[in-house]
Amino acid sequence: MTDRGKPPPPGPIRPYEFPPVADERLGNGMRVRVVQKQPLGLVTAMVVLRAGETAAPAGREGLAVLAGDALEGGTTRLSSVELACRLEDIGASFGAATGWDSTTVAVSCLADNLVDALPLLAEMVRSPAFDQAEFDRYKAQRLATAAHRRMDPASLAADCHARSIYGDGDTYARPLGGTEASLGALEADHARQYAAARYGPARAAVVVVGDVESEEVRQLADREFGDWGEQSANPPEAVVAGREPGRSIHVVHRPGSVQSEIRVGHVGVSRFIEDYLPLTVVNLVLGGSFSSRLNLNLREHHGFTYGVRSTFAARRNRGPFVVSTAVENSVTAAAVREIFREVEALSESGPTADEVQTATSYLAGVFPLRMESTGQVASRIAGLIVFGLPVDYYRDYRDRIREVTREQAMAAARRHIRPRELCTVVVGDADAVAPGLEDLKIGPVTIHDLQD
Amino acid sequence: MIEVEEHTLGNGLRLVMAPDLTTPVTSVNLWYGVGSRNEAPGRTGFAHLFEHMMFQGSAHVPRNGHFQLIEEVGGSANATTWFDRTNYFETVPSHHLDLALWLESDRMGWMLPAMNGEKLENQRQVVMNERKERYDNQPYGDWDERIQALLFPETHPYHHSVIGTLEDIAAATLDDVRDFFSTYYLPNNAVLSICGDFDPDRARDRVEHYFGAIQPGPDPPPIPGIDQIPFSTGATLREDVPGAVPLPRVYAAARVPPFTTDLFYPGDVVAHCLGTGRTSRLYDRLVRRRLAKSASCHLLPLTSGASLFMVIATGFPDTDVNDLETAVTQELDNAVTLTEEAVERAVTGAETRMLRALQQVATRADLLSMYATHFGDAARLNDDLGRLRQVTLDEVRSWSRNHLNPGNRALVRYIPERSS
Repeated sequence: MTDRGKPPPPGPIRPYEFPPVADERLGNGMRVRVVQKQPLGLVTAMVVLRAGETAAPAGREGLAVLAGDALEGGTTRLSSVELACRLEDIGASFGAATGWDSTTVAVSCLADNLVDALPLLAEMVRSPAFDQAEFDRYKAQRLATAAHRRMDPASLAADCHARSIYGDGDTYARPLGGTEASLGALEADHARQYAAARYGPARAAVVVVGDVESEEVRQLADREFGDWGEQSANPPEAVVAGREPGRSIHVVHRPGSVQSEIRVGHVGVSRFIEDYLPLTVVNLVLGGSFSSRLNLNLREHHGFTYGVRSTFAARRNRGPFVVSTAVENSVTAAAVREIFREVEALSESGPTADEVQTATSYLAGVFPLRMESTGQVASRIAGLIVFGLPVDYYRDYRDRIREVTREQAMAAARRHIRPRELCTVVVGDADAVAPGLEDLKIGPVTIHDLQD
Repeated sequence: MIEVEEHTLGNGLRLVMAPDLTTPVTSVNLWYGVGSRNEAPGRTGFAHLFEHMMFQGSAHVPRNGHFQLIEEVGGSANATTWFDRTNYFETVPSHHLDLALWLESDRMGWMLPAMNGEKLENQRQVVMNERKERYDNQPYGDWDERIQALLFPETHPYHHSVIGTLEDIAAATLDDVRDFFSTYYLPNNAVLSICGDFDPDRARDRVEHYFGAIQPGPDPPPIPGIDQIPFSTGATLREDVPGAVPLPRVYAAARVPPFTTDLFYPGDVVAHCLGTGRTSRLYDRLVRRRLAKSASCHLLPLTSGASLFMVIATGFPDTDVNDLETAVTQELDNAVTLTEEAVERAVTGAETRMLRALQQVATRADLLSMYATHFGDAARLNDDLGRLRQVTLDEVRSWSRNHLNPGNRALVRYIPERSS
């Protein structure tokens, strides 16, 4: 009979190499990066602009995001409808996405159609119309999204937590997509000015991943982007001053809530820290996987929640470190207590040797699983450009992950997790949860109205 | 074109294999032919709760060992429960294929010895929290419950939601777990698909090794209730939900031919024409004209008597829900005027999107399991795009005429309560 008693041993390991990245520069400084990836005959082409929401001027929060949306709204030559027809006639999907540090515009289609799709992608980026009516349409959509965020408990908790850990003048204190007040004042002209100042070939790249020849792509890219003359100024970096550190609990009173949305954390790290990989391991152990300490405690041991996770947001300046979960009213204080317990224990003693072994093995093993599609690879390459990481960063990424030691992880945990500065936000029914939170004696409890 | 090899083990387990050596990654995917449709009255949500219990260990796997073992080797694992089926899947670095097979076989064959009341109580709490997080504490969270209750009669297995009610989840017992396992979690009620980097001869041998000794059981009992129903509600049924939502939203659904019939394909084309992309009817006429903030259209691949076709449209803070409803229903009525050009574009887009989805071995394995479960033919996945191509404009229009008229409609409208 089969010996079922223990897990079967692995077979011989099969080699995996991140595909080579062809890296060139056009005469105007724009980078062209190409990765050949044959199966299924697909391609993703992505323009990466170092024009994120961080670069939106004061008082015009949300402008970068809205300008990105409006890139789909037509060019000086093609209306929004014509642009959509040309791309969708060849089965292409397209869209823009804006974060704090970049705007990316991407097209995915059959590789045979790249010759038609890339010129349209270039046209969207180089000659956006920012037609007032189209702009107003995207603006109305963003305004409605902002209204939605005010009533969605998870968004509300995230936005309130960012406001609580960052200083009033800090870039990351506000929601990425702007507020109803800031969005309301935006006009198409603002988008035109923003694009003129921030979209340009310097620091930008076109990334093409798929069933293509790199030399052909380079020529195509040169034809579409080589004469892009405008030079964009160096983008400003985010301002992060933080707040006076110290523990505090903010309850956003949402009468009748059947659950509490909980966020616990503090200002975290920038993507540029030297011990980013050890910290990635630490976060995986804390709340970055199913088998993490937080999830096994809150979900599998206590049954408090459907899930709990922790993240260090990777941004050019110090993004938030946040533990997030949703729990029933009656266990809200107990869940916060357990979160503090786990965060404190990890920052004090670091992960165990076994945990480091498991985490590094997980991160190294799961890496190729997340590199299957042309879009996934293109996004990774785009990330390298945004953070100024070397083009061959992923070639030995798995080796570097495996080399992380317990000592390095422990040092990263001590350096980057500061239990004395944990700020807690709870969106829930204050009548039901505030007394228990007071009893924790973690720090002062402040109750806010939903409208604050 | 995906090369597919299919076998059936002596105990009835169907095995589907599609090797692809591109990346050293392998996906294992199991479909059990059981979902919320099989739930007995008073036990709504049980199929999903049971899915959670499948991660609580088995005779040779400790509690939470499933996730731990898979994560240790750099794999990912999960499961989902739906109307007609429950799926379980692992994607692992390819040299750990045996681990995934061992884990899945252990819970298919030897789950019950590891069950106890404490584990059930724990997962009951987890699932009740899942329901509260995703349904009760979430704007619009309970829409599917309302749409299903409206569109399908009480006697139909799709009348209730997959998540189930809190009362029913709370009522589940350990005996329910045992009965459900013995009734539905049988090799002869399952499909096992393996995709990615592996040697099919060796994999077949390993599957035989790990799963071969699991005893089959009697065919599962018929689905409770009456699944054969007309593709018509007889009238426009409606429910208004005033409440704490930020934006008005309309869900408009129709009862349409199921996935397992040829009449599904014209419906799929219609759904793409109405709702996919920036050239779709709903985007063009609702979103571009600022009647809606967003609008989408979905046809679910359901099999039990009928399926569900649905439009979701969200307004702006100042949109009158009646105007939003009119805009949506006009497009349902007007689907009879869809053009050759729209159909051509929709099918071209659907083809490229399908290829994009197939890049991931996990998706490929899941789709193969789906076709094997519902058609007894995994390779049908290869033909299905061709089936969309063959749909004619006449079929599109007559499908729309027959199924998207006001006599076959359920409307759930979420209306923001204005605070004065």
